[in-house]
Amino acid sequence: MNRFISAALLAAISTAVSGAAFGDTIKVGVIAPFSGPFAIYGKQYQEAIETYVAQNGSSAGEHEIEFIYKDVGGPNPDQSRSLAQELLIRDQVDYLAGFTFTPNALAVAPLIEQSQTPTVIFNAATSSINKESDFYLRTSYTLWQVSAPLAEWAYDQGMQTAATTVTDYGPGIDAENAFKAAFEAKGGKVVDAIRMPLSTTDFTPFIQRVRDAAPDAVFTFLPGGPPTFTYTKTYNENGLADAGIKFLGTAETEEVNLQGLGDDAIGLTTAYHYSGDHDSEANAAFKSKLNELFPDAVANWASVGAYDGTHLIYQMVEAAGSDGPAAVQSALGLEWESPRGPVSMDPEARTLVQNVYIREVERDAQTGELVNREQGIIATVGDLGWTQ
Amino acid sequence: MKSWGPPLLLLILAVVLYFALPFNLAFLTRILIMVVLVLSLDLVLGYAGIATLGQAALYGAGAYAAGLFAIHVWADPVAGLFVGAGAGAMLAFVSGLVLMRTQGLTLIMLSIAVASICLEIANKARDVTGGADGLRGIRMEPVLGLFAFDFIGKTGFWYALAVVAVVFVVLALLSRAPLGLSLRGIHESPERMAAIGVSVYWRRITAYTIGGGIAGIAGALSAQITQLVSLESFSFTLSAEALIMLILGGTGRLYGAVLGTLIFMFVHHWAAANDPFNWLFVIGALVLAVVFFLPKGVISAPPAITRLLKGGRHAGS
Repeated sequence: MNRFISAALLAAISTAVSGAAFGDTIKVGVIAPFSGPFAIYGKQYQEAIETYVAQNGSSAGEHEIEFIYKDVGGPNPDQSRSLAQELLIRDQVDYLAGFTFTPNALAVAPLIEQSQTPTVIFNAATSSINKESDFYLRTSYTLWQVSAPLAEWAYDQGMQTAATTVTDYGPGIDAENAFKAAFEAKGGKVVDAIRMPLSTTDFTPFIQRVRDAAPDAVFTFLPGGPPTFTYTKTYNENGLADAGIKFLGTAETEEVNLQGLGDDAIGLTTAYHYSGDHDSEANAAFKSKLNELFPDAVANWASVGAYDGTHLIYQMVEAAGSDGPAAVQSALGLEWESPRGPVSMDPEARTLVQNVYIREVERDAQTGELVNREQGIIATVGDLGWTQ
Repeated sequence: MKSWGPPLLLLILAVVLYFALPFNLAFLTRILIMVVLVLSLDLVLGYAGIATLGQAALYGAGAYAAGLFAIHVWADPVAGLFVGAGAGAMLAFVSGLVLMRTQGLTLIMLSIAVASICLEIANKARDVTGGADGLRGIRMEPVLGLFAFDFIGKTGFWYALAVVAVVFVVLALLSRAPLGLSLRGIHESPERMAAIGVSVYWRRITAYTIGGGIAGIAGALSAQITQLVSLESFSFTLSAEALIMLILGGTGRLYGAVLGTLIFMFVHHWAAANDPFNWLFVIGALVLAVVFFLPKGVISAPPAITRLLKGGRHAGS
């Protein structure tokens, strides 16, 4: 009898153990702002992740995937670091994801290096981040990637002089450098490079300065949200469009804010890697599932960054489970069809190689909504800032 | 002897927490760092009655000084603490020369302005401070040459706890010393203190400078343990949160400052972990409840409850 019981016990234990080995749960810690002025990023990420999970199930290969969300509030590297530490030590996560702001992403570099944790950046767009650790993978874009092709395109369109107006912080300066380098390499001239304080609410003096300099185009980089509204309004009110100074931007006309910009936005030209209006099966499937789950959701670059990031995590988990270095190795060179178009993971810079589209804001004849209408692909590039 | 009871209990609580929450050491260490900052604010606001919303300026000065010192000069933690304290005290002294000439709202506005100026300087001096990307590359040597900082944060915790204990004892002694008593006097009635021959202005500067030194120590601790200094260390939010913690616990009592920090940070952490989307509501409700029911802070809870239990009979009063 005793022997029978111990045999049964042994069997039970062995099934339990093997069950654990085959059906284990891989945890992914998502660090993003979920409260305060930047909460929209967290919302976009969460909706995109849930959309991907709804489309592809909650398991990759033999592993269940679980997402743990942590609120970092805003650009706050201290908090980002202690949340990552908590996720790695207490929650025992195998992957980290999220990261809207460059400082937040940079702050976790020593931690992911030490714990060998693959970390998928959904947004933070400064090129240099990926140099800090081999465990960073980025599914958004870099400022060089979109700004440099835009400058080349502008020159090819016959614009020979330009002014740049960027917000005075890391990404803004990256954008300014990228635009200037590419524009001047072509033979164009940047007549004025204006850096605007991060907290600027009145853009009139800067716009006026641009108007006085009378270049062919004004390139701008703004941190998204309210400044974009004020900037485009000031751009129109001061008659820059009528004076023939063309607006060139990147993320300024992103989909969440686009309707709020109103008719002021019509005609704004931007170069970017994702337009909600992108005509493809993958994008249609993504958007319809997103709207089925969240009727009010609007797909923008943050959603598509998180959606592709989730895809990348699924691929890595399937290939390597919780083995960090092997997971990163399996991700390098990976190709897939994203809602933004075909993409692949650059093995060196660990940022996506993707199409950059030139778009113009127009009102869709059918829905009456403003859209970023793609005029064509201007480049298929990886991170141009990697070697800078 | 009795007055040493509550602080000892808190010390025991810290040790218990270390063993009870071994996976949360990073969080516990953050609490300890905030305790040092709130204690410095308690000296300035609770004892000397200097209403300031710019304590982050001193904290940030200490953090950047200690961080830069570790990178460029010497990565010894204890030396870094002294550098941080020096930087905080120096900024407090220099800004105090102007600030302490003012009172009330003017003082509050000016203290916020000092912190904003520091923030903007740190933002602009990108080559030195790393700007918005933060000051990185801080690698500390072992504490006293013996205890290396580890990944889980054990050394960080004990190191921070030791600093908290030292700061607490120094402040406790200070509050009983003539300087502490005269500060209390100035808080109650500056005119009367002036009348008995105390130089109110210089006493207030002294208090602000010592508070600045302690805030600088908090900043230095943060720089050394998180190996990172960000612009956030100068932010208004930090000053405001420190003030809320102090008011929550009760001003003018050292263990009130400790208690307030503990409660605020724990509720903050717990609420944000359970509902990362709406947790701010819980914090708001907590602060409102304390302000309404315990206007003198959580340390006034025991007497308030006793009064409630005795009910109605306002013996003699």
